[in-house]
Amino acid sequence: MSNQQQLFQQLFEENSKRVYHLCYGYTGDSDSANDLMQETFIKVWQNLDKFRNEAQFSTWIYRIATNTCLSYLRTAKRRPTDELNDTIIENYTEEPSEKQEQIALLYKSISQLDENERIIITMVLDEIPYPEIAEVSGISEGNLRVKIHRIKHKLTEIYNSNERL
Amino acid sequence: MKGFDEIQQLWQGQKREPNVSFDTILKRLKSERSALLGRLLWQSVAVGAATITALWIGITVNFSTWTTYFALAIMVGCIAYYFGNQLNDYRDISRNSHLLSKPQEYIHYLRRFQEKRNRFNTRNYQVYEACIAVAFILYGIEMYFILPIWSLIGIFIFVIFWFLICHFVFMKQFIKNENLRIEEMIDNLERIKNQFD
Repeated sequence: MSNQQQLFQQLFEENSKRVYHLCYGYTGDSDSANDLMQETFIKVWQNLDKFRNEAQFSTWIYRIATNTCLSYLRTAKRRPTDELNDTIIENYTEEPSEKQEQIALLYKSISQLDENERIIITMVLDEIPYPEIAEVSGISEGNLRVKIHRIKHKLTEIYNSNERL
Repeated sequence: MKGFDEIQQLWQGQKREPNVSFDTILKRLKSERSALLGRLLWQSVAVGAATITALWIGITVNFSTWTTYFALAIMVGCIAYYFGNQLNDYRDISRNSHLLSKPQEYIHYLRRFQEKRNRFNTRNYQVYEACIAVAFILYGIEMYFILPIWSLIGIFIFVIFWFLICHFVFMKQFIKNENLRIEEMIDNLERIKNQFD
């Protein structure tokens, strides 16, 4: 295995789960999330030689993943949120447990946020450091802190109101 | 009632994982590269064959008027222009460097790309269509000296009819659908861009 392939495998193992969560949070659909994650890593491989050590690998991969999710609009007709929510619930009915139901509800709540909020909150939930999120999203750190505070509050409210229902 | 910390714990405890392995990605990388090369190769072969056929006709067939040679040149030019543009746009959108930009810049790039495609499918296509029509008219001059007048009129009526159908039915529908799609995409991109501002 070449050095580049070894590096790529290491990057894949370290980041695939988080990238998948980001894509899942964005699309609310497991198949699309797998496709977007694959696409992200294909682009990572194709651009590996362009990586300059200005940022961390993870930041760089997240940016590719974010832009891949955004360009998802170019090819896919966005489905109404209701339909999206049905898909999320359907995907989780195979393994019904209280925890799975709560996770399904969480994804449903994330899908009710704006697109950029979904991207930011999935990174927050995965405990990505704020400077890294600011670097990925191109938003200043000060502005991002305000945004994150607002999104956390919004997500908690949506989740609790969905839970009540 | 849950607080954000509990929601975060819930998120981190999820077992959902991607069902795509490293090997699947490597396999797809290989197949994508060959599929891309294959597609480009076949398009190039088709355009090359059309150009060579046009050149071969121009060289081997002894046309009596210069207008026919001119018509052939226009046809070759149109094919090359259309193929060149498609290839350029295809390379532009698959060039990955834009993906490394900040989301706002990337959205801006996508928006410009959509507008460019819109112009290509509408305004540029009309110029393309006009050039093909001129090429047919020029070729008609040669036919005027060869074919009986009624056959020539018949062929001309058929060609005009075909052009009108393409322009007013097929192309109108295509442009309408394409515009609706592009407008929807631009609206979405604008909406997302505003979220990042």
